[in-house]
Amino acid sequence: MKVLMFGWEFPPHISGGLGTACYGLTKGLAKNDVEVLFVMPKASNDEDQTYTRIIDASAVAVDFTQPHITSLYKNVSFIEVNSKLVPYVGINQYYQLVDQMRSGSLETQTSEGKRTFEFTGKYTQNLMQEVEDYALVAAQIASEYDFDIIHAHDWLTYKAGVAARKISGKPLVVHVHATEYDRSGEDNINDIVYGMERYGMSEADAVCAVSNWTRNIVINKYHIDPKKVFPLHNAVEPVLKEVVRKKYVEEKIVTFLGRVTFQKGPEYFIESAKIILDRDPNVRFVLAGDGDLMHNAIERVAELGISDRFHFTGFLRGAEIDEMFGMSDVYVMPSISEPFGISPLEAMRAYVPVVISKQSGVSEVLTHAIKVDFWDVDAMADAIYGILRYPALATFLGEKGKDDVDNLRWEKVAARLKKIYNQLLNS
Amino acid sequence: MRKICIHFQVVQPHLLRTYRFCDINQNHNYFDDYQNRYLIHRLADRSFLPANQLLMELIKKYPDSLYLSMSISGSTIMLLKEYYPEALDSFKQLIATGNVEITGSTLTHSLASLNNKNTFLEQIKLQEEILKSTFGVKPTVFCNTELIYSDEIGEWLYEAGYQTVLTEGARHILGWKSPGYLYCNPYKTELNVLMRNPNLADDVTFRFNDSTWDQYPLSAEKMMQSIDRFPKDESLVNLFWDYDLLGLVQLEENGIFDFFKAFLSQLASSANHQLCTPSAIIESKTTKSTIHVPWAISSSGEEKDHNEWLGNELQKEAFAQLFKLEELYNKSTCEYTKLAWLRLQNAFHYNFMSTKWLPHESVKRIFDVYPSPYQAFINYMNVVNDVKLQLEKTKK
Repeated sequence: MKVLMFGWEFPPHISGGLGTACYGLTKGLAKNDVEVLFVMPKASNDEDQTYTRIIDASAVAVDFTQPHITSLYKNVSFIEVNSKLVPYVGINQYYQLVDQMRSGSLETQTSEGKRTFEFTGKYTQNLMQEVEDYALVAAQIASEYDFDIIHAHDWLTYKAGVAARKISGKPLVVHVHATEYDRSGEDNINDIVYGMERYGMSEADAVCAVSNWTRNIVINKYHIDPKKVFPLHNAVEPVLKEVVRKKYVEEKIVTFLGRVTFQKGPEYFIESAKIILDRDPNVRFVLAGDGDLMHNAIERVAELGISDRFHFTGFLRGAEIDEMFGMSDVYVMPSISEPFGISPLEAMRAYVPVVISKQSGVSEVLTHAIKVDFWDVDAMADAIYGILRYPALATFLGEKGKDDVDNLRWEKVAARLKKIYNQLLNS
Repeated sequence: MRKICIHFQVVQPHLLRTYRFCDINQNHNYFDDYQNRYLIHRLADRSFLPANQLLMELIKKYPDSLYLSMSISGSTIMLLKEYYPEALDSFKQLIATGNVEITGSTLTHSLASLNNKNTFLEQIKLQEEILKSTFGVKPTVFCNTELIYSDEIGEWLYEAGYQTVLTEGARHILGWKSPGYLYCNPYKTELNVLMRNPNLADDVTFRFNDSTWDQYPLSAEKMMQSIDRFPKDESLVNLFWDYDLLGLVQLEENGIFDFFKAFLSQLASSANHQLCTPSAIIESKTTKSTIHVPWAISSSGEEKDHNEWLGNELQKEAFAQLFKLEELYNKSTCEYTKLAWLRLQNAFHYNFMSTKWLPHESVKRIFDVYPSPYQAFINYMNVVNDVKLQLEKTKK
């Protein structure tokens, strides 16, 4: 079985969980004897191609003499994307990105009516144009390569997936890693993105959602036939080196790690910290990450008068994240709406007990984690404090949690996905 | 003539309220009054009252042949007294018939026998007091929490003045032996041991409403046939159940009351069967053999051990922390906190902390109080911590 897969990013150059998930999935599929052709807008040629062949969309020449290609191109109009909907990147980094990079795709004219497109593969201002161009390239690829099924990751690639489906007539699976409802909240839905998401899901032969939480959103908010929506939970790659437990302060450390945005619910973390510190000042809280709510967060911490026990680290990466987990006694993920949420798994892999919100996909696959409603700051504080105060609980959760995570393998996820593929191919 | 010994265990815990760490040393109201009131009403309305009424009718009809026994935990008596006195009256009337023998138990459905002789004996003493003041009886037969029993527990019970104990017919203890005989403790041979017939009893508890079971639907006739199929010399059949089996574990609309009505009527009117209280069996019996129970057994699960309550590290830790307070309990003058400490020994609290059934825990539970065993542990430990502080403050 051969799959033509459309992604937006692939390790090592990633800005969020999407690339990591794509890598894990392709690796898992390879172990299940499924061959993957992975298309991405801009490959940098240092991707790990052990398990999949990467096709760089920027290097594909689109033949505009072909009528089926021009028919796709005809109705395309480009809409500039405003900054609000740029996923995964906080506002600060966004401006840095814009400054640093050429934004948008550049067309390069070649001979005999063929053109190549140069993509940035980032989440920038001309995102919509890239999305449209990507679809054209997808159509070209679909007519050149041989495959059995098409798989498109997240809304940026849905158009590409649909174009490939139209050209080849092969079944399309779209994979929902996040929806506009998670990113922006009920009241700030971006119509263009919503439309694109719904278009992809409607045209697809099957929709994979990263959790039942997301599956319900797909069914209820995008009005997709439940029969074709399948839950397909994420997994994590096993780590080769163990995180070293090393602390520099006496006090217990409670950590939040993630983008400081509406979706992640940092304010609930701050309120829980206040409840705990009122009773016991010998605890330190760390908010690691950056995002558009950073200023509000700092102001609220100052207002509550807990600045001496509440620390901001800014954006962390790689080794810094491991070091942070090595120091943490509890990891908290108070997300308001989290399609999946891979970070608690990374904490658990480092034997850190976790408290997570029930409004997250990851809570569906975890047994040995404490789950609370994101808004119930009393329950959250009680859970955090319970772990800090009762060592038997911390040890138990740490060890069992590690087992929990070790059971979540991409290989198993890929086996479930293969079943869905077979179902589509046989129908 | 084959003797049938039917026993019902009546238990209901005082559930804890959501007790946050902020409450420690601030609030000492540990119990969820609303929930406890609601649950005892539900339990009595669905189970106790209709079941008592059924037994009363049958006893009126067969006054000379319908005998059975029952244990009622002190916690249940207190809950009924506080929230539903009418239901308690119905038990009083039932016991006044003289056909229902009341057996001893711990006051609070306690797990103390797994750990601590002194506390266990204290629990028994307090339970005897409440039985005396409520029903005017003194038991000679003992039914421990979830039928927990070992040779050592047997010796303690003998010391406390009991002649007979009820326990589980655990297969790993009985081996080739049958629960259909009378046994005794190997060290205190005067202490008789009655062993439950697990297959027959579980047919009703777990399979009564299971349409995939090949014997479904279960009828009184089928039960009688099963009983008659036992070898002739096995002259004893012990059927011990939780009382909430009637109406709560198995629902009225599925016919559990009709089943028991038919089953008990047939037993009471049969010439080949005799319904007996445990004491009556002992009086008529002479032959018995010893049964060795080196480790505690119970009626729990397939393993018939104590893993349901003390199977994981959280449960063990909570149990250890709780019993560290024994000395403080003995020295304290605060009756309220002392009673709270006794109630914290209730096996139900440890059920909630069990990870044995994860991630499919809901299979076993009639009511789910906590979202996870972890929250159950935290809440429980918060209360234990406050109880400790209050006991310390009220030291003599």
